[in-house]
Amino acid sequence: MSKTSLLKLYFIFLKIGAILLGGGYVILPILKAELCEKRKLLNESELIDYFALSQSLPGIVAANISMFTGYKIKGKMGAIAALMGIITVPFISIIILASVLNLVVDNKYIVGMFWGVGIAVIALIILTACEVWQKTERDLFFNIIFLSALITLVIFELSPVDVIIIFSVIGVLTKSIFRRRGVK
Amino acid sequence: MIYLLLAHEFLKIGLFSFGGGYATIPFLYDISVKYGWYTIKELTNMTAVASITPGPVGINVATYAGLSSAGIMGALIATISEVIPSFVLVIIVSKLLRKFSDNFYVKSLLTVLKPISCALLVAVAVGLLRPEVKDIKGIILMAVLLLFSIKGKKDPSFYILIGGVAGIINTIL
Repeated sequence: MSKTSLLKLYFIFLKIGAILLGGGYVILPILKAELCEKRKLLNESELIDYFALSQSLPGIVAANISMFTGYKIKGKMGAIAALMGIITVPFISIIILASVLNLVVDNKYIVGMFWGVGIAVIALIILTACEVWQKTERDLFFNIIFLSALITLVIFELSPVDVIIIFSVIGVLTKSIFRRRGVK
Repeated sequence: MIYLLLAHEFLKIGLFSFGGGYATIPFLYDISVKYGWYTIKELTNMTAVASITPGPVGINVATYAGLSSAGIMGALIATISEVIPSFVLVIIVSKLLRKFSDNFYVKSLLTVLKPISCALLVAVAVGLLRPEVKDIKGIILMAVLLLFSIKGKKDPSFYILIGGVAGIINTIL
């Protein structure tokens, strides 16, 4: 376990919660930059595992992945610190914004701003996907699972949870059959 | 007791909603019909506010719904209740992963999760690309942002800032 203090972990996630605009998925590039690259608290391979695990559990994906990383860095209290950090700014901003709700929703500059933020979020997700792709060791097994999962998601529009469950079972079964036959 | 009811409803949402923030909306709709703590119109507004406020949409909507139902205490109870079930599950899964890290099946599972994660990421990008980048301005902004990455810009908040500023400039023009 890392030497980072709980308070520091809380503030790292507080900052992440504050810049988390445009939906939960953008948390992946932010966590990668903040925890893997800047602070070296986590390696990218672990983060990618948590991304899939977070989507296969119920609840809010961004909260789940924060708790997984918090737990990895500092145990149970780390998970709590990360969770509290990630919800602090959103909680306060909703409490404040609730009273001026209509002004915010209808303001054309704010709507316009979020058009741009939305596109930036997609750019970040594309960049993350590219980077993960470059850094992962890919063998035939990887490529086959990747392509079939992608086709199932995009063309057949199955939900992420279904895809994760189906391909985890298929993948693990394939691995165990290969092992029994003595193939690597 | 409205606090107990809130806790009960949001624990349920936390346990049964799969797939992130927007998956909680149908549950919130049910709550509105069942208890009348807020109207459907208010729920639509909540979703709009949640998506332009920092933080995960699911958390924002829970805070908002709790606030409309029972004030700040309600907001706190709804938000915390929503994340308790997955907190328990995350701890259990993390412990199992740690305990059985040498187990063949756990190792295989983690190997399989990598390509699945990659596919999920690409699918998210594809899914967002179609509705969001629909005109020439969107394509140009996207191209500019991707060019920054070739220049080696790494910080995600930089991209979000550029996107936001470009959006405001676009509105003014």
